[in-house]
Amino acid sequence: MSNYYNMPKLPTENSPKVEIFVDDKPVMVPGDTNLLEALKAVGIETPHVCYHPFLPVSGNCRQCLVEQEGPRGRMLVIACYTPVAPGMKIYTPASSARVKNARKATQEFMLVNHPLDCPICDKAGECTLQENYMEAGQNESRMRPEFGKNYHGNPEHQFVDAKGQVRGGKHVDLGPRVLLDEERCVQCDRCVRFMRSIAGSEQLQLAGRADHTYITTFPGEKLDHEYDLCVTDVCPVGAMTAKYFRFQKRVWLLSHTPTISMDDSLGANIWLDHADGHIYRVMPRCNPEVNRSWLSNTSRLAFQNFDKNRLPAIDVESLPIGKGKIALVAGGSCTMEDLAALRMFKESLGDGAELFGGSLLKVGAPDGIAKSGDPVANRSGMKLMGFADVSEFMKRASEFETLVTVNADLFGEDAAAAKDLEKINCRIALSAFDDATARKATIAIGVRHWSEVQGTMVNSLNIIQKLNACPVCPDENLEAAYEVISELAGSKLESASAAFAKATEYVPALAGLTYDSIKSTGKLLEGGNA
Amino acid sequence: MAEVVKVCTQNFGKGAQDIEVYKKLGGYANISERLFNMSQFELIDYVQRSNLRGRGGAGFPTGMKWSFVPRNSGKPVYIVVNADEGEGGTFKDHFLMMEDPHRLIEGLIIAAWALGSRAAYIYCRGEFLPCIESINKALNQAYAAGYLGENIMGTKFCFDIFVHRGAGAYICGEETALINSLEGQKGQPRLKPPFPAVSGAWKSPTCVNNVETIMALPWILQHDPSEYAKMGTPRAGGTKVFCISGDVKNPGVYEAPLGTPMMTMINEYAGGVVGGKLKAVLPGGSSCAPLTAEEAAVATMDYECLASMKTMFGSGAMIVINDTHNMVDLLNCLGNFYSHESCGQCTPCREGTGLLHRMLNLIVAGKGHDGDVELMQSLCGGFGGVTICPLSISLGGPVSSYTAKFRADFDEYIAKNPDHAKPRVQETYRPGIFW
Repeated sequence: MSNYYNMPKLPTENSPKVEIFVDDKPVMVPGDTNLLEALKAVGIETPHVCYHPFLPVSGNCRQCLVEQEGPRGRMLVIACYTPVAPGMKIYTPASSARVKNARKATQEFMLVNHPLDCPICDKAGECTLQENYMEAGQNESRMRPEFGKNYHGNPEHQFVDAKGQVRGGKHVDLGPRVLLDEERCVQCDRCVRFMRSIAGSEQLQLAGRADHTYITTFPGEKLDHEYDLCVTDVCPVGAMTAKYFRFQKRVWLLSHTPTISMDDSLGANIWLDHADGHIYRVMPRCNPEVNRSWLSNTSRLAFQNFDKNRLPAIDVESLPIGKGKIALVAGGSCTMEDLAALRMFKESLGDGAELFGGSLLKVGAPDGIAKSGDPVANRSGMKLMGFADVSEFMKRASEFETLVTVNADLFGEDAAAAKDLEKINCRIALSAFDDATARKATIAIGVRHWSEVQGTMVNSLNIIQKLNACPVCPDENLEAAYEVISELAGSKLESASAAFAKATEYVPALAGLTYDSIKSTGKLLEGGNA
Repeated sequence: MAEVVKVCTQNFGKGAQDIEVYKKLGGYANISERLFNMSQFELIDYVQRSNLRGRGGAGFPTGMKWSFVPRNSGKPVYIVVNADEGEGGTFKDHFLMMEDPHRLIEGLIIAAWALGSRAAYIYCRGEFLPCIESINKALNQAYAAGYLGENIMGTKFCFDIFVHRGAGAYICGEETALINSLEGQKGQPRLKPPFPAVSGAWKSPTCVNNVETIMALPWILQHDPSEYAKMGTPRAGGTKVFCISGDVKNPGVYEAPLGTPMMTMINEYAGGVVGGKLKAVLPGGSSCAPLTAEEAAVATMDYECLASMKTMFGSGAMIVINDTHNMVDLLNCLGNFYSHESCGQCTPCREGTGLLHRMLNLIVAGKGHDGDVELMQSLCGGFGGVTICPLSISLGGPVSSYTAKFRADFDEYIAKNPDHAKPRVQETYRPGIFW
């Protein structure tokens, strides 16, 4: 586990294609990557446990073996660490019995000391070992019960169970959010590499050697990093489990909605895993350009409050907007569609209305993993759409007689600064939550939360990304903010694609795009100035 | 027994730990007379012509290894001496460093000149305390005499030697694990390539050599490479320091030319087998396949002959076993050792060595079963060439060969289990039915 392991090179669309021979058949594969990724690009899956595309290659699971023709004959090599070379000859289990047997043997070794407790394991259903076994193995055990299992684990955590068997540590508390099951650990060291190379804080280590190796923190230390829940994602087995999701739901009962986390301007790509009208967990969605496979704990655990403290939908025909200037303030989680609707609304109100966007929260620094530090998720979109920053509004707040906030909790974000805003007589709040601004508002209209709407956002890298509605909205009558606003403006935008079409009218950089043409990993905007 | 030329052990018992004695015996003459008149390439050519092969176990030609070290890479070149002698039955480096530390230092200066190196590390097994004291004393004397440090012998050549104590892990004898350990990391082998010659210690070109290899250099330089090459076999020159242990009359360290017949080593050097008849010989340390008495009768101690007999020369550590021993007990010891010393990195080795050890334990405890031996052989098939380093094969090889050559011993133990013939696999849960 040297520190010198290299990050794998991943193929891109622009990778040069080279010809290699897989099972004696010529195949064109990306030439600047490792064999495992190259084979994946042409549809040949190689089972692997320790390899992770965004972690340094460690090459210790020995599951991804293939045969390579070399100067000394056909040799077994690990696909994850073998660079693609033009003309190389590779043999997979499809043609080589040796590869098939070697993988089978490795799998057998992997299961020697792994407990067969899949029925009660939280990872069952998305476990790498299970998948490899079901796809390639399904071999019957050759072990005898007398051989026993040498369960891994810290000697301090070992115990003798009711059957008199020595067992490894179960539910070992690593920190505030993560539990470790030492028996299930297969020593792939993904979590160690994640903490070392990605999180940059070496809080986990492999201690001991041979089959009594175990994962541990340093004595007296805890695993308490902003990204520590990522170790539960990278864990190929059920060794690392998140306390918040443990035993909550079997994973095969969950439906997955791909969307964007709207609490940071990087716009981390996420899956909302939901069942029976509730979100059970948030998982990072792989996007090599944005958050790779990582997600901060803040973004991940935010879902726990999505259905709490919500505002009810109310039917509003028209707003009691008086004379004088009107400020329309969009919050950070407003989508491009909401912004377009706000602009429509502004046009319908005439010259007295002005558009502002942003939040009163401080902008932090990017952490280089999955957060840009800017709490205003759609800041780039606001710039494109021509919204002034909210600080501009705060300076000139006394000029306005009407304030319309959309998901902008100004009172909650900075109560002291927002005190002056109480002088504005007419304060209308469109918000998902019954927050401080909604409570202080003269009219508070409930709208859908960002997790429940279709839409788009432009992140800090100027990539336009698509949000999808997760069917967990607590109230069927709630509508997305853009629907409510556009209705007030006079012509209701019935769908996200219609609203997006409206947005493209306002923003030249979006010209030519349609809502449906945006891929799940987003699209880089060329003409943007953000 | 003909008088043999002694290359590494010539100063044994002469008090050569002291620099004055060592100089009187002809030591350091290379440094003061020849070395600095030679170019690096001349020196590497010298070593290549001497046919010296690495004495650590793998037997890689030393000159060729040196020629792989890149010149002008802009990084320092390190020499690391592998003195982490951990293989069962090997104890030569210990004695060599104890008895003749100055020869190691002289050899290192020669190697440093050949490789353009500024510093060398002697990675010594932590348990060899007297040995480390001996080297440290010698180093102090060599520094005081001006053979080490800045501007050696008035030239611009500067060279330092550091002694690093290992923590006693067997795997740290593998060169990349050794480098990891030297750097202060966990001693686990690295993925290759890059090989240490290109990117080793601190990502710099590193040459890892065994103690005995380095100690042969002064003699080669003093005499002639052809003279050294003449002593061995056509493909491996010189003499070898053998460690003979086990059931022999005089176990110990003996230097003999490569290609000496095995029975000569046992009978003439070590005084013959005691306690019974010869049953088996492990020719190259505990991890090699054993030779039966019949095979031992025709074997010669060199790389090619032993490789052709499907075992290996290794570090030249002969363990002689007489017929009062049961090979299963021996294999159980090896299982204990290798399952404990596996670094825990690769799956087959980490899980497999432990499993083999548990199975051997059961057999020795009289709970063996028909088919256990076949299962062990089959499991060892999963070791071959699939791991980062060869530690898994160090147990897998013996298990395959012991069971093949001494099957009767295993059957004898298994027969002690009254239920040994009962069906192995009970009818249990089969996933296929449910899915």
